[in-house]
Amino acid sequence: MRSRTDRLSGAFFLVFGLALFFLVIPEYVEDPQGGNLSPRTMPYVTAWVLAVCGGLLMLRPTNHAAPDAGFFLKAAAYVVVLGGSIYAMSLVGFLYVSPVLALIVMLMIGERRPLWLGVGVVLMPAAIWFLVTQLLERGLPG
Amino acid sequence: MVDFSIILAGFVDVFTPINLAFVVFGVVLGQFVGAVPGIGPVMAMAIAIPFTFGLDPLPAIAFLVGVNKGGLVGGAVPAVLMNTPGTPDAAATAMDGYPLAQQGKPLKATKMALFSSITGDTFSDIVLITVSAPLAILALKMGPVEVVALMVFAFSIISGLMGESLTKGVIAAALGLLFSFVGTDPEHFTPRLIFGYWDLFDGLALPSVAIGMLAISEILRRMSETRRGEGKGLLVADTGKPEDRRVSFAEYWACRFTLLRGATIGTILGALPGIGSTAAAFMSYAMTKAASKEPETFGKGNLHGIAATESANSAVVGANLIPLLTLGIPGSVTAALIISAFMIHGMQPGPLLFENQGRLVYGLFGAMIMANFINLWVGQAGLRLWVKVVSAPEAVIFASALLLCFVGVSMATNGLFGVTVMLIFAVFGLLMHSFGYSLVIFIIAFFLGPQFEKSLAQAIALLNGNLLNIYTSPVAVALLALSVMSVFWFLSKRSNTAADTTNLGVPDGETLDQKHP
Repeated sequence: MRSRTDRLSGAFFLVFGLALFFLVIPEYVEDPQGGNLSPRTMPYVTAWVLAVCGGLLMLRPTNHAAPDAGFFLKAAAYVVVLGGSIYAMSLVGFLYVSPVLALIVMLMIGERRPLWLGVGVVLMPAAIWFLVTQLLERGLPG
Repeated sequence: MVDFSIILAGFVDVFTPINLAFVVFGVVLGQFVGAVPGIGPVMAMAIAIPFTFGLDPLPAIAFLVGVNKGGLVGGAVPAVLMNTPGTPDAAATAMDGYPLAQQGKPLKATKMALFSSITGDTFSDIVLITVSAPLAILALKMGPVEVVALMVFAFSIISGLMGESLTKGVIAAALGLLFSFVGTDPEHFTPRLIFGYWDLFDGLALPSVAIGMLAISEILRRMSETRRGEGKGLLVADTGKPEDRRVSFAEYWACRFTLLRGATIGTILGALPGIGSTAAAFMSYAMTKAASKEPETFGKGNLHGIAATESANSAVVGANLIPLLTLGIPGSVTAALIISAFMIHGMQPGPLLFENQGRLVYGLFGAMIMANFINLWVGQAGLRLWVKVVSAPEAVIFASALLLCFVGVSMATNGLFGVTVMLIFAVFGLLMHSFGYSLVIFIIAFFLGPQFEKSLAQAIALLNGNLLNIYTSPVAVALLALSVMSVFWFLSKRSNTAADTTNLGVPDGETLDQKHP
């Protein structure tokens, strides 16, 4: 039984490759005169390869099965937390955001023991601060 | 002509206290993270690379080599004790290591894994040191036309050997190449695919892409798979008998042919781009079982099973550096990470490396040999400690790893833009992994892309604008012919390989490549 997963991803790469070839590359890659190799040549080749292989994958899919929707929902929640923390770091800096980020991530994973939560929230950010700013003499993000 | 003064000076460099200290630190860190299910040496190396910026090249590279070698030893600990391999390479080790631990001999199993790992590793390091310089001299005779043909050959091999289908492998390679074209084109210096973000003018930063795809995407995957209250597996107790806690010389010597076979398989497969240590471990295990007079004892705690897998997967490490140092082609994700560390420290891997920075290369070889001895010493002393490490909570490990990735990428790319790119590639890596596309092929293609395009432009100039003039280079023609033959061979063998994979006990959806993470 061939799975739908490869047909879906194959269709995506077929459309993606064609979109690259006809829309994105002509718009976002210049085509200056002269030289041995145009800046567009290699992107065009890869776009065609993606489109052709996407089509082939639709025709001859493997048995690969993607994880269920719950997995992707959970992953999306983590990505939102990480994205939000990057934005927060741009406003108030790593030092204030990192303990909150560590706490949220640990709670989402399911950690409830105060000692381990303390290690993640206090000890690790402090150790990173010491390593980066004091030992390496570099700046923290933000 | 080989200059022995450079070779000796390089080896002596390692014996400075600071360089030795970094090798020790790397090995200890590697064994520690290897013992933690979910981290592993690849992720540890990805996180550690930005933190080596402030170091001189030799201690930095020696440290990373130590992390990698230590990680392979540490990876066997959870495989043996919990049937949960810390690294995919150790999956085959669990097949005999875990039953042996269940018989009350966990220390015997982990020590056999340690000795086998170091035997295989040392064997492949000796091969690396012996053959790489002559191969580099040979490689120096290649021009841009041959380099392009060689890269096409490497892409065909890597795409065919890694992942679950050749088509998906080619897609992963094409994606890696596509993203490597972001930024300035190498010939006209015009911006490409930057979409108005001038931070991308110099291209996508390798640390952002590598750490996003290899470390963060793996952490996201593991966190998304973790269920609350999920147990970590049952740790096993030992019998308390001294003979069950050690490996005698007689037991080690009885495995000598198994160790030699495993080390040879690992070295040969490691020298070929794209195969990886997991494949070597399973192949060695299968061949040892087939050659055994007591095949029925395999999977029930046979020391030969552990010796076969650990000697093979560790032998891949040294051999992986052969294509990297001689041709500049990374054969695995570990090699791709080492190559990025080389470049951060101003080294351009390839045949000229021996000519321009020979002392540093032999310093690296010295560090590799030292790392093996230190691995043995730290392993002997630390095995009891690593047993405790396997029970550390994943929540703290993942949260800490995330913070380290943020800081590391920020340092490497000078700001939060690089961290944002890292997160985007983490999502991309997670999706690629979920849909069965190899991240390793992507990263290798991403790394080779700029050099491939540059060499292609030079080759076109040399061939007077007509690629059909390639017949003037018999080497290039031969390599391209081999590429075509290998594609057809992979297409015809794909179904047989899938069947073999199933027979070797690899779970559905996984392949015998170094797919992890």
